[in-house]
Amino acid sequence: MSLIVGLPALLALLLIGLWAAAALDTAIGRLIVGRPVGMAATDPLRAVVADYLRQRTDTEAPDHLNWLLAPGYYFLLAVVGLALVPFAPDQSLIALDTSVVLWGAAEAVVVVAVFLHGWSPNAPFPLIGAYRYVAIGLPVMLLSMFVLIAASIPAQSLDLRAVVESQRGLWNVIRQPLGLPLFLAVVMSLTLRGPFDYADSADLAGGTSAEDGGPRWIAWQTARAAMLVAACAIAATAFLGGYLGPVLPGWLWLSLKTLAVMVAVVLLTHLVPRMPVAQMLTLIWIVLLPIAFLDLLIAGLGAL
Amino acid sequence: MTMTDVAFYLLSGFAIWTGWRVFRVDSMIRATFLLLLSFTSVGLIGLLLSASYLGAATIFMMAVEMMVMGLFMVMFMMNPAGLNPMMMVHQHRLSIVAGLLIFAAMTGAVLLTPLPSDPVAADRPVLRDLGIELLGDSMLIFETAGVTLLATMLGAVVLSSRRGRFGPTDAGSVPPGLSAGGPPAGRQPKGGGSHGGHGGHGGHGGQGGKGAHDGHGGGGSHGGHGKNGGDGNHGGHGG
Repeated sequence: MSLIVGLPALLALLLIGLWAAAALDTAIGRLIVGRPVGMAATDPLRAVVADYLRQRTDTEAPDHLNWLLAPGYYFLLAVVGLALVPFAPDQSLIALDTSVVLWGAAEAVVVVAVFLHGWSPNAPFPLIGAYRYVAIGLPVMLLSMFVLIAASIPAQSLDLRAVVESQRGLWNVIRQPLGLPLFLAVVMSLTLRGPFDYADSADLAGGTSAEDGGPRWIAWQTARAAMLVAACAIAATAFLGGYLGPVLPGWLWLSLKTLAVMVAVVLLTHLVPRMPVAQMLTLIWIVLLPIAFLDLLIAGLGAL
Repeated sequence: MTMTDVAFYLLSGFAIWTGWRVFRVDSMIRATFLLLLSFTSVGLIGLLLSASYLGAATIFMMAVEMMVMGLFMVMFMMNPAGLNPMMMVHQHRLSIVAGLLIFAAMTGAVLLTPLPSDPVAADRPVLRDLGIELLGDSMLIFETAGVTLLATMLGAVVLSSRRGRFGPTDAGSVPPGLSAGGPPAGRQPKGGGSHGGHGGHGGHGGQGGKGAHDGHGGGGSHGGHGKNGGDGNHGGHGG
């Protein structure tokens, strides 16, 4: 797949994905609290314009460079993730035989990007959000590691293209029923959402983005939505057979499955409450990690 | 030069530049993440040189490691944000000599070693070979190192988590008294939760003279008086 054709196509898909993510989030959020859905499709765009016109604020002695770069890192990692996703047999923008490992690396750098975004304004709430997120984000990444290794066992390869091909007979979501639910938790943690939003939550007045105003706010929220698109596409690829499907073209199947995962994630975002940090840490280490081990065991026994 | 060559030189240059910046910035967090950028460039070079697993794993491991390291440094150095400027280099003479010696030794080793020119065949299963190596002949070495590191980590957590700065944490550690056997130093938490001292402070500096002064206090009801507050008419205007 050549970069000249592939990259614009990918960015176009990402733009559509961004809009879909924002519209879904608005619509489902309103439905759940019982408000009329209204113009959920265009309200996010209006919000972008309104935020752009809003007063720009600054803090005392921030690290301007890192404050500027953090949303860029976050967005770039989302683009890398999306570029690893195959949308037809043997067709992905980054052709790498260890794409699962590279996605893991991108997940690890997400924690760094969110931390830098909270650290650089030099203000209390963003900093608390940053520290809290590291405490939760790092163990959640362990979940992702085990779940994705389990998904690549049937393929006998760390290549997402091979992982999709290995699901021709049976999707991983059925073969490894514990995998997708755990990965949904990972997606929520990567995108700072709902029960795993320890970085940007309302209890910290917006956490790492508490001091963001105007363009900074737009950039950070866009990067968050981009990461949602990328992580959902990875979930659809690793567990729902990616581009596999009858009649329709592969890229359309992939988009539909990505959308389905996105709906699930947005529903969970608005329906599941957030626990205190200490309880969440206990849940991750005592409950979720052993379940991830079990998932790995099931995958291993299945391969034998 | 192919695209790979260009990317190699760019990434190498970036790795060296960020590595140098680590010692020139004034904050632990900046130094930590510049080091991460340097390692990431090296990892990307690994991806270019068909070491696809080692390259990606380098980025992965270094991101987690630098994140944890940065956090722990900030915690131990009691510089809560890591934003406070601080000197990142110490013992200048010793470090300069040691740095030059190590640079000479490593450069010499690279230049004097007859490096093999043995390009990897495109169809060679590099990943599989690495796996066989890690879990075959070298398994004892890696497992020994792994178990040793795990034991070290557990030991470090056990040692550091119980014995706090002022005694065992599970015994309710308090700072020592200012006099021998006296009550613990520092401010004692008071009951009732009232916050004294946060009333409105009318702000009169030290230049009170004759005439009417208006204290522009926030929410309080009294004007503050500077030490030279004379016989004027001081009115505190509460917000």
